[in-house]
Amino acid sequence: MGLLYRLSKPEQAIAWEGDMPITSRYTMGIAGERFFRAILDDEALWGTCCPECDVVYVPPRLYCERCFAQLDEWVEVPNTGYVYTYTIVHVDMDGNTLEDPRIMAYVRLEGTDGGLVHFLGEVDPEDVGIGMLVEAVFKDKAERKGSINDIAYFRPI
Amino acid sequence: MSRDRVAVVGAGMTKFVRRAQETGKELAWEAASKALESCEMTLDDIDAVIIGSAPEAFDGVHMKSEYLSDGCGGWGKPVIRGYVGGGTGVFSPIQGWYHIASGLFDTVLVICEEKMSSCQPHPQGAFLTIFDNFTERPLQPNLLWIFALEMNAYMTRYGLDKRDIATVSVKNKRNAADHPAALLGDANITVDDVLNSEVLAWPVQRLDVSPVTDGAVALVMCAEHVARRVTNKPVWVEGVGWNLDTAYWSSRDLSYPVYVEEAARMAYKMAGITEPRKQIHIAEPYDPFDYKELHHLEGLMLFDKGEAPRAAADGVTQRDGDLPVCPSGGLLGVGNPIAAAGMMKVAELFWQLRGEAGARQVPGTPKRGLAQAWGDLMQVGTVIILGA
Repeated sequence: MGLLYRLSKPEQAIAWEGDMPITSRYTMGIAGERFFRAILDDEALWGTCCPECDVVYVPPRLYCERCFAQLDEWVEVPNTGYVYTYTIVHVDMDGNTLEDPRIMAYVRLEGTDGGLVHFLGEVDPEDVGIGMLVEAVFKDKAERKGSINDIAYFRPI
Repeated sequence: MSRDRVAVVGAGMTKFVRRAQETGKELAWEAASKALESCEMTLDDIDAVIIGSAPEAFDGVHMKSEYLSDGCGGWGKPVIRGYVGGGTGVFSPIQGWYHIASGLFDTVLVICEEKMSSCQPHPQGAFLTIFDNFTERPLQPNLLWIFALEMNAYMTRYGLDKRDIATVSVKNKRNAADHPAALLGDANITVDDVLNSEVLAWPVQRLDVSPVTDGAVALVMCAEHVARRVTNKPVWVEGVGWNLDTAYWSSRDLSYPVYVEEAARMAYKMAGITEPRKQIHIAEPYDPFDYKELHHLEGLMLFDKGEAPRAAADGVTQRDGDLPVCPSGGLLGVGNPIAAAGMMKVAELFWQLRGEAGARQVPGTPKRGLAQAWGDLMQVGTVIILGA
């Protein structure tokens, strides 16, 4: 009873609002720097390869998480792949209904053991399916900043 | 209680730097690979992984150990993160000890990582939320307040000379000049440099304080039957202890860290140590501030209350003194990537007890060392005792 009473009149409790006055400035790391520079400069996707474990990592890693070897073998990978799974997002972070639902997909990149999660574009939600072949669409060079958003979206091919 | 004996058999660390280009994962991987390499083991030989890292807000990554896990060798293995704030660097090898002493695992890789440079404009902003939301935060406190109030209480209670306290900063920064991974080694620093540095919150001055740092340290720990196969120089865990005081720092005795004493008593009992001052040959107490090294030496019962500053000024704690303290260069000299800094001290004992500390090697043949860290809401003591 006490708990319900308190919850029903939250404005009666004295409150003090605080925040954490920091921002984070992340470095992309040794492997990440090279990955995003290639997107920025060349519209190209690169991965690292562990010959021992026969794995191509995209996004690239500096080390193999399976055997811990340093990975020095860089390979350019296709900007094409297939929709491994997807969702159609109908509400935003605050729960507001989106006028145009967005399609988020996990795209497995061809010839690699990895992939990227990104938006799908130039396709209607009802036409999307698992297994659909897609390619990355890069923004114009002037708009690119060395970020995952330098890829505008993936579209069907 | 019968327990398996546990040894440290390998250690590795990154350079401690002000701002690393590497991600936290990449720093962790570098330290972990070096530790494995140092004992000629591979990730396949490791049964479980322990990750130590201080507040998430420093790296700016929530669920930090999950994020760090692949760089720590955690892929496909049992992984746990222990977290007791600044005390984490010594608590993580304690976790390594009980993972093995329990009989559950034979080999454990322990990694402590911190990337404080991510946190802008300064990690002090993240520390703000450790204070009580209602009685303290509205005052806009700074972490330095705690230290300044504590240092003043300590100095006043025992009538200490700030000049004696400043010798700790000088000793550690000079010791760190011999550490290849150090951020702030300085062979020529003087007591006057410390006493003339900028006053931050009296009596704390700029050179009384350790720096914001990025870095990682890793240890390989094994059960006795594995350790005997891996190395002819195992370094044994002889004692562990940890203890927590009240969370209300305004209710604590700031002039004496009783929680460090309780943690030390637990570790001494386990190690069979009855006269610590005679039986401990090297000490690596936590030194984020110069007075803290002294404060902790007293809590560890290595010096009587109020006596450590005079002993430090007399040279007792120099690398060639009667009780070498922070021969590594400590947090003041090597740097203070929180959890990694604490475990750097354990790694230093490992190298010292094996006679592998190079230019930092203390004279004689030290048989037993103690490392201690301190943290949480400034009220946890963590202690580990290693023996050759």
